[in-house]
Amino acid sequence: MGERRFVLLMLMPAALFLGFLVSYPVALLVYNSFFEVSLIDPSSRVWVGLANYVDALTSKRILESALRTLKYSAFALFFELLFGLGAALLFAAIAKRSQWHRTIFALPLMISPIVAGLLWRFLLVGNIGILNYGLAALGVIPDPGAIKWLSDTDIVIYSVAAADIWLTTSFVALVSYAGLTNIPQDVLEAARIDGTNAVTRFWYVTLPMLRPVLAVVVVVRGIDALKTFDLIWIQTQGGPRQASEVLSMNIYQRMVRYGDLGQASATATLFLVFMIGLAGLAYWKVWRTGND
Amino acid sequence: MKKTLMCTVAAFTLATSAAQAEGITVLVEGGGHSLQQAVADAFTKETGIEVTFVEVPYQGVYDKLSAEIASGTSNYDVATIDVVWNAAFAPHVEDLSELFTEAVKADLPPALLADANVGGEMIGMPTWANAEIVFYRKDLWEDPANQAAFKEQYGYDLAPPATWQQWRDMAKFFTKDGMYGTDVIGGTSEEWMAEVLQAGSPGVILDDSGNVILDNPAHIEALENYRAPLCEDKSVPDNALEISWGEAQNLFYQGQTAMMKFWAHAYRMTPEDSKIAGKVGVAPMIGGSAGIAGIPGPWYNVIPSSSQHKDAARQFIAYAIAHNALGIEAPLGLAATNSAYQSYMGKPGYEHFGPLMATLSAPATKGRPLNQHYQELVDEAVMPAFQGALECEDNVAELLQEAAATARDILGQ
Amino acid sequence: MTSRGPHDLGKTIINAGALLLVLSYALPYVYLVSTALKPAADVQQIPPSFFPNRVTLENFATVVTTAGLPQAFLNSAVVAVLTTLLSLLIAVPAAYVSALYRRRLTVLFLLFALVTRMVPAVSLGVPLFQIMKTLGLLDTTLGLVLAHTSAAVPLALLLMSAFFESIPKELEEAARMDGCTRFGAFLHIVLPLMPSGLAITALFSFIASWNEFLFALLLTSQNGKTAPIVIAEFNSVYGLAWGPMTAAAVLYSLPVILVTLILQKQIVGGLTFGAVKG
Repeated sequence: MGERRFVLLMLMPAALFLGFLVSYPVALLVYNSFFEVSLIDPSSRVWVGLANYVDALTSKRILESALRTLKYSAFALFFELLFGLGAALLFAAIAKRSQWHRTIFALPLMISPIVAGLLWRFLLVGNIGILNYGLAALGVIPDPGAIKWLSDTDIVIYSVAAADIWLTTSFVALVSYAGLTNIPQDVLEAARIDGTNAVTRFWYVTLPMLRPVLAVVVVVRGIDALKTFDLIWIQTQGGPRQASEVLSMNIYQRMVRYGDLGQASATATLFLVFMIGLAGLAYWKVWRTGND
Repeated sequence: MKKTLMCTVAAFTLATSAAQAEGITVLVEGGGHSLQQAVADAFTKETGIEVTFVEVPYQGVYDKLSAEIASGTSNYDVATIDVVWNAAFAPHVEDLSELFTEAVKADLPPALLADANVGGEMIGMPTWANAEIVFYRKDLWEDPANQAAFKEQYGYDLAPPATWQQWRDMAKFFTKDGMYGTDVIGGTSEEWMAEVLQAGSPGVILDDSGNVILDNPAHIEALENYRAPLCEDKSVPDNALEISWGEAQNLFYQGQTAMMKFWAHAYRMTPEDSKIAGKVGVAPMIGGSAGIAGIPGPWYNVIPSSSQHKDAARQFIAYAIAHNALGIEAPLGLAATNSAYQSYMGKPGYEHFGPLMATLSAPATKGRPLNQHYQELVDEAVMPAFQGALECEDNVAELLQEAAATARDILGQ
Repeated sequence: MTSRGPHDLGKTIINAGALLLVLSYALPYVYLVSTALKPAADVQQIPPSFFPNRVTLENFATVVTTAGLPQAFLNSAVVAVLTTLLSLLIAVPAAYVSALYRRRLTVLFLLFALVTRMVPAVSLGVPLFQIMKTLGLLDTTLGLVLAHTSAAVPLALLLMSAFFESIPKELEEAARMDGCTRFGAFLHIVLPLMPSGLAITALFSFIASWNEFLFALLLTSQNGKTAPIVIAEFNSVYGLAWGPMTAAAVLYSLPVILVTLILQKQIVGGLTFGAVKG
């Protein structure tokens, strides 16, 4: 079989599948963005050209929630990578005996996100949640109402990220660990025989070999963090005073709660274009350099 | 009254039941399922029409019904929807005016009839209704020491609060011994909306002709009063913005607050082994200058225009309202008609029905605006101003003016 | 292995550190379990207590007698298993050529897969509903499996292609010189070297489907309803049944713990290409 044909055949099922089930919704999304159209009655639509885009790009609300989304994602991603990669290296250090560690570490993944969201809401809410009682008992804060995790507009966007970090650090840790186990032992052995120390080995051997996996982890987690809204919605509904509203929540509210399909589609399309740009950048800078 | 209703239905049933043995599918939230199961069983027994409930989480009712309607055909013959969705679904559901016979109309609180009427059509039939009433700790109120101390401090007898001033006084009085007098909810705005009506506003957010009145004196006065226990009296937990229905209810159940305003159904839901089981008293919603007023929380049965079994669906809805009392035995214990509530009045365990009826049929009680943009008005205009006011700065009028401007912008006024 | 002092000390520190990390990370989960074991009046006790004052199984009793829940658990399991298998079947071959036969087409393809992951789920819901309705797949297991697979394939593709990248191209070439076809080299030589990657990809496809809410809500109603929907129903407008909800969540997590344990066994180190070639 020719190489070209082989590649095409291997790609075909995935391409057809995604093309069929995802392309239509995406095309519809872009199409809707040029109309004034309601979610409940899509058959009656009015062409408005770029008006929805002009509205989206000049809206202070959308700009603010876009910036908040970036803050939220950067914060969540940083800690997920820090904790996740740290945990993966620890697991690798104790290798075979880490099976139970890793399973316990995967526990957050096993809870329905809606329950996890409520759980964190109840952990954090002042005067009621156990976190503040714990901190007060340790003497860190004077009383259980001292920190208003979910109602202080300055910190709420970071407080709601805690649930996200808790839920998805496992993903980073387990994937990175699997990546570590995938590194051929003879390469590491060779480096060890050369007398390099652990830090050097990590920096010059392990990390470069882990790069494809890490790149995927960063890109996937980055996209997911930018898209998160249900976890935040359950905890605060975007409040107080929209201080925890992120862009995809804005899209959700506009599309579903207000039924304004056209405007929401324009915002979603802009969001998509922005993420494609970001992913393209990540590809050229991180991924590609490792292979060519 | 009940008899006439049943006869009407019987006639209606006879006229159509010969047609065929069929089934209908009803889209419901959990509450709607439990409250209507008994009536559905009776209906099937009488007509042979099977009733299948599809139960989904709250938001799912709206999401699924809109997806069905948008796709052109519907698997649902009846949907039980929250009143806040009435306006949005109105263009896509059947007109049920003919089911509102004189007998049915006479048996329903006026506010529930008004909420069914969108653009001159009766788009849904009430299934049950709810409203906030006053919950208080009987043991504390009946304690002679408290009664004496209260009288001495405030100059009048300690009784369940009935006015704004009494509410504040009692909240202050019971803020002692590690307990708060009450709570201020900052997570949702309905409780404040009730006070807007109590202050004599012709409507909440909008007046009857759809003009934005979010910054009228009643809205401002009500918000000042609503936040007073938080901002001036310090008689509530200070994290009001984190408090929503669930937290408010829990604070009361846990004995952390002496009284609360809450939806009437909660009267039957106090956990049996809770500290306050058996100590809960209820009273009608408090009143302001316009007297008692509440925001009704009714649900409506509607027939999507795309239903394939409209006749059977009509029969079911007519039957359900005629036998409205059958739902009361369900855990939530709610109904819509006066006669249904009256049939349980005086029975032990249903002490909340009196206050609920008093609140629902109070002259100033009025539903939330039936506007397609209601949800957007609340999320984008009301909540930011409402939550801003709970930060206790001297800017209530300003915030509401801003909110009114946002609201006019949304409505294109 | 010879034992050396400092080495042992290092190991002890690492072991202790790992244990501490894992335990503190598990605390919210433990709190969830502890809440599920509390009686109704205590589930949201103020001030809260970490452990139950009185242990009761009443929440679990409520859950197992909840109508439709056993069926929903079964539906979830069937959907998640089928989604996992279908995702791997579709994604692994594509990931293989994307990693080992890198060219403009495969790069574009990976970016395309990435884009499909970026689309806000809320804007996929209604169009997917229409597709499934047209195909007559509403409220069927197959319909939901297809929807979940569309969400799982991009992740599986990206993950697997990252894992395949650690395979040197020479390995495939050597296999072909030994008489393997291209497909044979993929199936018999390279794939067996990928237990970690396959296990982790399967795990996350499984979990994504197991917990998925929005598509399940829109695409199923009676027959195909999955457990996350039933669990969400414990949170009604008339109050949150937090005790039963936590109990249901705990029960629902047990099968995943089993799946994770099984798949974790596949995630082992010690890959050496020398051994393979020999």
